[in-house]
Order: sequence, then C-alpha cells, then structure tokens
Amino acid sequence: MPPKNNKGGAKAKETSEAKQDNDNSKSQTVFERAQAAYDLTRPPYDKEREELGGLHKLSTVEKTAYASWFCTAPDELNFLSKKAQKELWKQVNETNRPLRRGQIDQPKRDQWGKDRLGRNIGDYTVLQYERRIEKQARLTGLKALGRSFASKRLYASRGLVDSSTGEKYTLTEEDIQAERDRRMEMAALKKDLYGEKMGPYSTDPEWDDVVPVPQMEPEGALSAIAYPEDYAESMSYLRAVMAANEHSPRCLRLTEHIISMNPAHYTVWLYRFANIQHLDMPLLDEIQWLNGVALDFLKNYQIWHHRQLLVDHYHPIIAGSPDEVKRFAKSERAFVMAMFAEDAKNYHVWSYRQYLTRKLGLWENEEHGELDSIEGMIDDDVRNNSAWSHRFFLVFSNPRYANPDSQATEADPGVPADIVDREVAYAQAKIQLAPQNQSPWNYLRGVLVKGGRALGSVKGFAEQYVQNLGDVEKEEVLSSHALELLADIYEEAGDKGEGGLVLAEAGREVGSHTLRVLGVEAEVSEGG
Amino acid sequence: MELQKARHVQYFQRCYTTVLPSLYTSMDSNRLLLGYFTLAGLDLLSSPSSASASANAGSAPAPPQSLVPAADRTRLRDWVLGQQHRNGGFCGSPGHVQPDTVKRGWNEAVPYPAVNDTENVSLPGTYFALLTLGLVANEDADSVATAFRGVNRIGTLRWLKRLQRPDGSFGEVVNADGSISGGRDMRYCYMAATIRWVLRGNEVGKDLDIDVDGMVQHIRKSQAYDGGFAESHMGESQAGYAYCAVAALSMLDLAAADAGKPNRYLQAGISNTAAMIRWLVSRQIVYTGIEEGDSDEEEEEEEEEGKDDTPAVPTSEMASLSVTGTVLGGFNGRPNKVADTCYAWWVAGALHVLSDALPEVASLDRASGREFLLQKTQSAYGGFGKDAGSPPDLFHSYLGLAALATMAGEKTEEGLGLFDVRLCLGKEAASRVDRARQFWAPASESDTADA
Repeated sequence: MPPKNNKGGAKAKETSEAKQDNDNSKSQTVFERAQAAYDLTRPPYDKEREELGGLHKLSTVEKTAYASWFCTAPDELNFLSKKAQKELWKQVNETNRPLRRGQIDQPKRDQWGKDRLGRNIGDYTVLQYERRIEKQARLTGLKALGRSFASKRLYASRGLVDSSTGEKYTLTEEDIQAERDRRMEMAALKKDLYGEKMGPYSTDPEWDDVVPVPQMEPEGALSAIAYPEDYAESMSYLRAVMAANEHSPRCLRLTEHIISMNPAHYTVWLYRFANIQHLDMPLLDEIQWLNGVALDFLKNYQIWHHRQLLVDHYHPIIAGSPDEVKRFAKSERAFVMAMFAEDAKNYHVWSYRQYLTRKLGLWENEEHGELDSIEGMIDDDVRNNSAWSHRFFLVFSNPRYANPDSQATEADPGVPADIVDREVAYAQAKIQLAPQNQSPWNYLRGVLVKGGRALGSVKGFAEQYVQNLGDVEKEEVLSSHALELLADIYEEAGDKGEGGLVLAEAGREVGSHTLRVLGVEAEVSEGG
Repeated sequence: MELQKARHVQYFQRCYTTVLPSLYTSMDSNRLLLGYFTLAGLDLLSSPSSASASANAGSAPAPPQSLVPAADRTRLRDWVLGQQHRNGGFCGSPGHVQPDTVKRGWNEAVPYPAVNDTENVSLPGTYFALLTLGLVANEDADSVATAFRGVNRIGTLRWLKRLQRPDGSFGEVVNADGSISGGRDMRYCYMAATIRWVLRGNEVGKDLDIDVDGMVQHIRKSQAYDGGFAESHMGESQAGYAYCAVAALSMLDLAAADAGKPNRYLQAGISNTAAMIRWLVSRQIVYTGIEEGDSDEEEEEEEEEGKDDTPAVPTSEMASLSVTGTVLGGFNGRPNKVADTCYAWWVAGALHVLSDALPEVASLDRASGREFLLQKTQSAYGGFGKDAGSPPDLFHSYLGLAALATMAGEKTEEGLGLFDVRLCLGKEAASRVDRARQFWAPASESDTADA
C-alpha cells in the first residue's frame, strides 16, 4: 500500500517523535495499518462481531445483515437456488447495510517475521518499516553490482571481449576498490538487517577465490571459547590457505592477524616462515617485526622458535663477515635486554640467549662479550638466578676448553684451574654482599664440582658465616646455606663428630627447619 | 582453612557448561588441554575415593555421583576422537583439524586434495587426548575395554618416533618434510614417555619404538649445577621441568615393568639425586605476605631486589619464625622467585615420584604448604589463582587441587580423591587409563585378562 503521507521521506525523518505520534499514517504500526486496510474491505458489523466476540452480541438488524453478507460470498451464493437468491437480495435491500467485500486476507501480527533483535517487524512503525525496505532494496542493488563485478572478473580472466565496445574485459584496481567498498556497505546492511556478520575476509574481493574451511565442531563442545570478533573467520581462511599450501603476501598478512589474536597457534608460525622463504622476504625485517610482537606477548613460547629459525637462516648469510656478525650480535643483545627490562627472569629469553651465544660464538670477554653483560645484570640484581645460570653456561660450555658433552653436574677436566679460581672468587665476593642469597651458594657448589675440587676447599669461607656452632650462648648463623654446605663438607670428609652436629642443626630432615631457615631468605628476598 | 569444595565444584562446572571468556583465545590451540583440566578437576572432586574420609565413618558412604555426567561421556569421547589426525596422533584443538579436500576458484569452487599437514599433530594434544579418553570411560568393564577403540595406535607411535631428535630430545611437531619443530623441552619428554606407555610402545618392536636410552641420556644431561632440572642441557633449573624429568623416567620404568630393576631409568636418568632433592625441598619458602590484590607484586618484587644491604639474621630470630601457628609455605619454581600455586604441584609431584621409588626422600612441610594454597591462592569464586589475589584460571585451579591431593597422599585431602602423581590424574581415572591399555595387549595376555 502506498504511503498516504504526501511529505517527502527525508522530511519525515526530521520530524520529532511527538509530531510523528500525531501523524497517524506514520506512527501506526505495520500491523495496525494492515488491519485498518483490512477493515476497509469488510462491513462494520463484521468487525463489530469480531470485537464483541460473537454473533449473538449483535442487534437483530445487524445479525440479519451479517447473515445476508455471509451468504452473498461468491462461493456461498452458488449453493442457493435462483429463488433463494432472489429472496436474499431482497432482504439485503431491506436491511440497507453496506455489503463490501475485499480480496485481502486478515493480517496476522507475526506475518512480517522478526528482525535481528527478535523484534516483531509487524510492530514497526510504518516509517521504520519503510526505512527497512529501503535498506533491503539497497542490499539487493549492491548484490546485483557485485554479480556484475564477478562476471567481469571471470570474463577478464578468460580474456573475453565486450561485444558492445569491442574491447577486452579488464579488471582495474578501481573496480576492486569499488567492490571492496560495496562489500563493506553490504556487511553493514546485513548486520543491521539480519544480524549476519561478514568479517574482513569475506568482504574483501581479494579473498573471493578462497573457500573458507569452517571449524567442524558440534554445538556445545567442551572448552569452547568466546572468540573475539573476526577470529573464527580468520581461522577458517587460514585453514583454507594452509590446506592449499598457498604462499603469498596476503597469507603473510593473514598470519600476522592470527598471531595478534592467538600467538600460541603452533602451526601459524611455521606457515609464516614458509611464506617468508617462498617470497624471499628480508629476514632482518622479519626479526625487526618480531621484536614488537615479543614485547607484546612476553610469556609466549612459539615466538622464540620462530626467531631461532630466522637466525638459523640469517646467520649463514652474514657468517663470512665478522663485522656483520658483531653488528647483529649487538642488536640482538639490545633486544634481549629490552625483554629483560620487562622481566629479567623470562625463561624463554634466557633460553634464546644461550642459543645466540652458541650460534654467534659470543663466549669470550671482548667488546661485545657476554660475560661483561652478565656481570652487569648480576650487579643490578645479585639474586637473579637466571643470570647466575647463564654465567655458569658461559664459563663451562665455552668450546675453547670445555667438553661439549660434559654435564652440569660433573667435573670437566678441560676447564683451566685459573678459570675455576676466578669463578670461586666471584661467587664468594657476591656471597659477601648477601650471605642468605641462595644463587651464588649454588653457583659456588657448581663451580667446585665442575673444577673437580672438594667442597672442603671452601670450608674456611663457609665457616665465616657459621660461628660457635653448638654453643647456645654464642652461636651465630649468618647463612643457612653456609650451614648446609658445611654439613656436606663434613659428610664428604667422613667426619661424624662436628659434622653430625652441623647435620642435626641444618635439619637434613628438612621439614620445619629448612622451611624456617629459608623463611629468612624469603623475607630478605621478598622484602626487597 | 578448609578446601572450599562446593565453590570448586561450581568453578569447574562453570568451565564445563559455559563458554570460556575470550581471554582464553590465546589457548585456542590447546583446547584438549583445557578440556582435560576441566574434566580431570570434576573427576577428582567426585571420584569414589573423594568420599571416603567423610564424617559418617560408621556407615559406609554411598559412592558419589561423578560430576562428569554419564550422559555426556559418549559425546565427550567423540569430541576427542574428532581431533585425531588421519595419519595418527591428535591435533591440539578442533581449530587445527584440516579437511581432506579444499576448494578453490573464483566462481565455482573445485575441490582438490589438501596438502599433508603433519604439523597439526601436537604432542601435548596427543597426550591430553589419550588421557581424556580413559578419563571419560565409564567404570564398567565394557566401557573401559573399548575406551581406546578408534585410536590409531600404530600411526601415533610412528609419528612419535619421528618426533625424537638424534640427541634423544623431543620436539612439538613434525613437519611435512620430516623436520622437527619446537624447543628441546623437558615437558615433551614427559608427554612422549606417557604416550608410549598408554600405547604400549615398548611392545611393538624396535622399528616403531622410540629411542629410550637416548631419551634417558638427554634427561640426565639436563640436570643443572644446582641439582634441579632445566629445559635441556646447561639451562636454568626450574621446578616444572624437574617434575617432567622424574615423571618421564618413571613412566619409562612403568612401561618396562622390570621386577628386578623397577627404577632402572629413574636411577639412570638422574646423576645426582641428593642434590635434586635438596633443590626441590628448598623450593618451599615462607610466604611473607605481600599485600593481596597487588597485581604488580611480582614485578615490583623483582625490581626491588638488587644491591643487598640486608643485615645478617641471627639464629635466634630464625627460631622465632618456626612452624608454630599458621606459617604459609609457598613454593617457587626457581631460587629467588615468588611463590606460585602451580609450583606447589610441580615440586610436590616431583618429590612424590622420587619417594615412591627411592628410600629416604625428604618430604615437604604439608601443613604450611596446604595453608598457603588454601588461604592465599584459593579463590573466593572457586578455583585457584596463580598467586594471592589473582583471579582463578583452569591451569592453576586444577594444579592447585593436584598439589593438595599429592601432599595429602594416602590420607587424602578432605573432599578430594586419591591421586596418581605420575599421570597427574585421580587414582580411579588413572586406573581406567591403565586398564583401557589392555585393548592393545598382546593376544595371550588379553585372553587371560578377559578370563
């Protein structure tokens, strides 16, 4: 039914709510309007009968009128004889009531369906309904244009000639951009009208040749996750291009998008690397890009393997030039230090640092030596156990003298005595700064084992921290770790006398005593 | 403080029935892990042994109804099997399952075969899938006997063998070209040893079995100078890797079932057991009460550490800190780190595996460890957080329960069932996994088992 309002649509939109209320034809709902139209097609007594709830509520005249009206319906009329028909028309004339009859079915409230919010469209105002129709028409138009774009793309790909112009079909960047814009508009319209979502890939004509692979999973599956917007769609495109083994710039961009949402996706990284190799991308650019990603996702694990893979491939390129290796080592160390500024004990970063040391041969204490750097970190935080551990690795895995297969817990005869001396002295100096710090005590033990020396060789040093043992009045324990070490020293020497005493004191039963001793350590450490 | 059982039940049921928040998107490649923790948590809170310690000791308590609904178990099993790769092994997530064919083309999409995607098979995914299949089997013999029906045993074992490097270590995935990706990570050793045990990899002959001695040597080399275990050779010791190392060795021993040398691999794989125990025990520290709800505590604490001008603490003061009253004994994963819920599990678990096998292994202080978990990291919403004041997450919630169950041992923690420390799973569920392995037993053995 055409709008009865003679105002223009645009003007109607500007009218205020109150104005619209007065404007009957626009403020009534779609259902009300249809009902009103239906009412115009039937006599008033039929409406009255319906509203009152039965024929018996009508007046006698109206009852007669209703009966006559009912019988004048074309189907009913045929059942009557000619004579009866004549009688009927006579009665109609006498009653003198309207006898109109239309072709419209009685409207139902839900016949227009529901919108994306589950609202009955029959309850829309006419104005709202008209806007909806306009959007639907717009969407249909856009779809038609999209189809002609797809045809043109097909013709262009087959090298066909446009018979109207005599020229070959070509697809320009403008065409693609126009289609992209159309899809954006269509996506917005679909979302608005039907609540359908079109993500960035289904709206991009560049991805039209990819049929996404949706996640096959039953409804209500275990540990389902409320994915962020676009995640499910991106993943379905990733599966599709991975299954097709496509390597292209768009795939590289897709991997970046997935990584930004799920950096722990264990195959997207491998796939990204395959793309980089196929496209012959500069590895240094990728390493640069990775710096930012690593700083965004500090706890991520996969990033570090990707980095190792990149370095594995980059190193042979620069290996011939010591200067380039030096420059690369410097920039990598700068990045590693930036990671440590966020978390100086990040296990993955330390692991990578070991790898880098081996790969680039950063053992010796020279201009860019690791040992200098690590001493700086221990000076910053003498309790950074990771830094201690890295120092141990630097000193005792140095291929210049160390046996590469030597375990951390066994002696390595290849390590020169002066290096063992140096490390013992280093650990002792740091213990003096903080006697209850577990890290240098562990380090000291480790150095002695590596150097093939008896624990007893530091007995005098340990005794400084445990005085007058057993004498309740004068006893002084400055470090529980010294106490433990002494116990082991006495055990090593087979001394059951004083050693037994220390053993009892050190509480080798562990349980409460160790807890109590270590409690001091925890307090020292956590109290800052 | 008590275990707030009702709240934990609510927490795990919430994880079971509702969609996990989008924060978990970074775990989307490990949905089998999330599913396993959810189901294993529900199972541990309602296993038959979880009721044994209840108050009415006189009358035998009725066995509790399992919180993993019987009606859902077939569906859960199908969900797990749906993630099996066509060549064997399991993907980590439904999102990693690739179709056989893929369609391409501008207009009509033409299907053609998808490329070989071996890299989607994940070691953690396979580990969690197999344990979950045993976990969701019903207690009846038929259900247990068919729990592993549909698992591609030989394909999985073949893949597992390809995942091992010449140095004995395991990677995470095998690429189509046969190369191995992933770190040299002790966790992979543990998972590989467990998968081998489940699939009876020791009974398929040398061609299909992994290199056990290589794996043991790799583990042995990973012990750090301080006695703990590192990710791999010359790394920093960390309690999680310590558990994985001893549990891996123990799983190898379990598969060998050598009555003469029941701990052959455990002894061969640890060069200095005393140092390891010393290191493990010293992971328990007194929690000194960093303010709750201070989310930056770790960072602050780490920044503040530094030049040490701490005066030496006299013994008398140490004594005043002794275990009277409620001392909170948290666990850290590395020396000089702060306490964290999951390290209670990794440390207690590692010590438990050792003490099951070796004489005179020191134990932890259960009372203070328990108090730390229950008072500090047990969440008011159910579940456990990483540390005091952290919101609960599935990982720490399950490992918090695992730690409590492990420290309790045979005595059981009130409300929790008995625990199998090697599989990190309730005892009854672990027994179902074990019995379900009969599916692959050599014919003669399974005949006698049936009879």
